[in-house]
Amino acid sequence: MPIYRFKVPTDSVPFEQREKIAVDVTDIHCGSTLAPRHFVHVMFDEQPEGSSEFPTRFYLDAYNRAGRPQEVKDKLLEDLINAFVRHTDVPRDQISGRLGEGPASWAMEGGQVLPEPGQETAEWYAEVTAD
Amino acid sequence: MIAFNCTIQEGVIPEEQREIINQRLVQIGAAVLGVPPDDISVDYEVIPHGFGFRGGEISTSSSVRSVIPDGFTQEKRVEFMTAVQDMWIDVTGQTTAELVVGAADASFRPHRD
Repeated sequence: MPIYRFKVPTDSVPFEQREKIAVDVTDIHCGSTLAPRHFVHVMFDEQPEGSSEFPTRFYLDAYNRAGRPQEVKDKLLEDLINAFVRHTDVPRDQISGRLGEGPASWAMEGGQVLPEPGQETAEWYAEVTAD
Repeated sequence: MIAFNCTIQEGVIPEEQREIINQRLVQIGAAVLGVPPDDISVDYEVIPHGFGFRGGEISTSSSVRSVIPDGFTQEKRVEFMTAVQDMWIDVTGQTTAELVVGAADASFRPHRD
């Protein structure tokens, strides 16, 4: 975790743009949290134009560990959406998003149960970055 | 009821491994959480090459998310997730760095809609 999934119309975001967005999303997430870079997952789900179940043509469906202040989450979501806009021709009003959350202790990554936000220890970093 | 959802990257986990994984996930759900095999489902989502990234680079990572019945202790949840992790590594040869495992309560909703 985190998992960032961009819902996009088919063939609307070429690989070069997806790659730049993924790098920016990773930078932004790691800049506002203490997650290791390789914990940041970004995916692009293509859907036929007009078939989206979401309120806008493009959508960021995010999932993260619970426990961060609301202002941090709001800024994170806005920064991520702006990164998408920056690397595409998509107008800002055509993308929105939401940030879902779950208990950290309900997931394992890097062989370890995830710590709560702010509870990451040096030992945990050493363990999950050992590979 | 346990619903497993495995997200894998295109070309990383061959079909024959998925068949073994299906069997082993059902075994784990029954053995660790006591859920009848007929109440355990396994689905896959394959991310096309070039559409999944980890740390800003093309991803080879997999995730096994599951929805489990409410009421299990954290100790039992960790036992379950660890069993899933160990099985996945054994079958696929992936490392712990390439795997996310989750186990959420059935009543849990991640969004405040």
